[in-house]
Amino acid sequence: MRHRRLARAAFLALIALLYVFLIAPIVIVVVASLNAGRFLVFPPEGLSLQWYVKFMNSGPFVRSFFFSLRLAALTTVITTVIGTAAALYVVRHARRNNALRMLLVAPLQLPGIMTSLALLIFYYAIGLGGTSYLGLLIGHVVVCMPYVFLTVAAVLYNFDRSLEEAARSLGAGSVTAFRRITLPIIKGGVIAGAVFSFITSFDQFPISLLLSGVGTTTLPIQVFDYLRFSFDPTAAAVGTVNILITLGVVIMTERLVGLESLYVGGRQ
Amino acid sequence: MLMRARGSRRPWFLVVPALALVVVFFVLPYANLLVMSFFMPGKAEPYDAIPTLGNYTSALGDSFQWWILWRTLKLGFLTTLFTLVLGYPLAYNLARAGSKVKGMLLVLLLSPLLVGVVIRSFGWMVLLADNGLINSLVKHWGLAPHGLKLMYNEFGVLVGTVHIYLPFMVLSLSGALQNIPPDLELASRSLGASFIQAFWRIVFPLSLPGVFAGCLLVFVLAVSSYVIPVLLGGFQVITTPLLVVQTAVDVHNWPGAAAQAVILFAASLACIGLYFKLMNRAMRGLSP
Repeated sequence: MRHRRLARAAFLALIALLYVFLIAPIVIVVVASLNAGRFLVFPPEGLSLQWYVKFMNSGPFVRSFFFSLRLAALTTVITTVIGTAAALYVVRHARRNNALRMLLVAPLQLPGIMTSLALLIFYYAIGLGGTSYLGLLIGHVVVCMPYVFLTVAAVLYNFDRSLEEAARSLGAGSVTAFRRITLPIIKGGVIAGAVFSFITSFDQFPISLLLSGVGTTTLPIQVFDYLRFSFDPTAAAVGTVNILITLGVVIMTERLVGLESLYVGGRQ
Repeated sequence: MLMRARGSRRPWFLVVPALALVVVFFVLPYANLLVMSFFMPGKAEPYDAIPTLGNYTSALGDSFQWWILWRTLKLGFLTTLFTLVLGYPLAYNLARAGSKVKGMLLVLLLSPLLVGVVIRSFGWMVLLADNGLINSLVKHWGLAPHGLKLMYNEFGVLVGTVHIYLPFMVLSLSGALQNIPPDLELASRSLGASFIQAFWRIVFPLSLPGVFAGCLLVFVLAVSSYVIPVLLGGFQVITTPLLVVQTAVDVHNWPGAAAQAVILFAASLACIGLYFKLMNRAMRGLSP
């Protein structure tokens, strides 16, 4: 009996250790951003906000930060509309069309860096130019749309169609029925999809790497360019702000629809 | 009324924007990439419209590129193995947790996914660098006076990729583990099986579909990762995706890069094919 309890304690300790492994780099980024020294060392060198000040005073970082926010917002609006529409069609009118469904989520199946390269070459071939704002936006929309499609489709599968039919038979137009009946029910899926889309675009790396150019540098690319050649703790401050924004979006979602919809929707 | 609502007048306009987007800006670019890999690299233009197999022969005749491809697949394999070994206890714990605890564990598990890969790599850099936190602790305690080389080598890359892809493995394993009724395990225990026996004879075989799916997902993601090898490998650990980008962006040899990308896809497909074969045999061996 004692033997078994010991084994159980060891197992739980292992689980705890694995969660520490998962969370460690994120916690470390926050700690490093508040660290006085250039490197995080033991014993610690004290607290400082200097890396935040450096971030605020750095033109490229601030510019790319706001650029990324705008790009993610625009991407989210577009993907939410077209992803939701596609999910409505596929679940209601083409349920058995596996080819269509697979095609719509295909951008999630192939590596982003290859999609990025393919798009770069394609843009050049059709005369859009390698690194235009439009090209970058389209790239983001392509890789973010499947998230909205999947989360909305997941909710729609369990949607009782007779509710909408009842509304229609009571005299509601199709737009009214959609707005008053369907939309409130699938709201959770739509919001979850929009959140995924925003975060995916805001943190997007491979697509932006090859498609962003002068004046269209996103935040992850800016951070990457700094880190590629030197170790700069300003990245920790940027990273912490990034983490806080993500956290804010997730908490807002929790308030609006509850986090389960994120998980249930995202797993589908 | 019902007939009309479900009738043949399908509102196809709903799906057209998304479908057009994927066809024009995803399917066509990949088709174009494939076609381009059979064209000559150009002098002034990125490519000349002269068909050739040269991109493939030069890539396949280059032993350096074979060595890099081998390393890419090896790192992908090791990442898959480690995420499976580390992910299994996590998934088992998650699948058996009560619903209150499960919500919290899910937040812990999924939150790393919500932080961008560049930021997470930076976190590892702070920990693993020569003058990073781990080395400072190691030196402080006098464990290794010269410190440990934890980054800018394959070890660093592996730590990063395992960390990034672990949640994917756990989600796919816990999905399968959740479908195994705990009663089965309890029944075998009450019939005298030890925990280890119950696990190997009952739980693990039944979780194989999850193992199968998780390994496939992680391998595919890992062989094409780019950020981790660059930041934690510091250009010391070149993998095929790095080579493809270098060929395309630095050397401006688009057809060459396209051919290298196609070769990587073909090699991963070959690995996946082999894997399906082995896995099929394993599954068949289990059934009575």
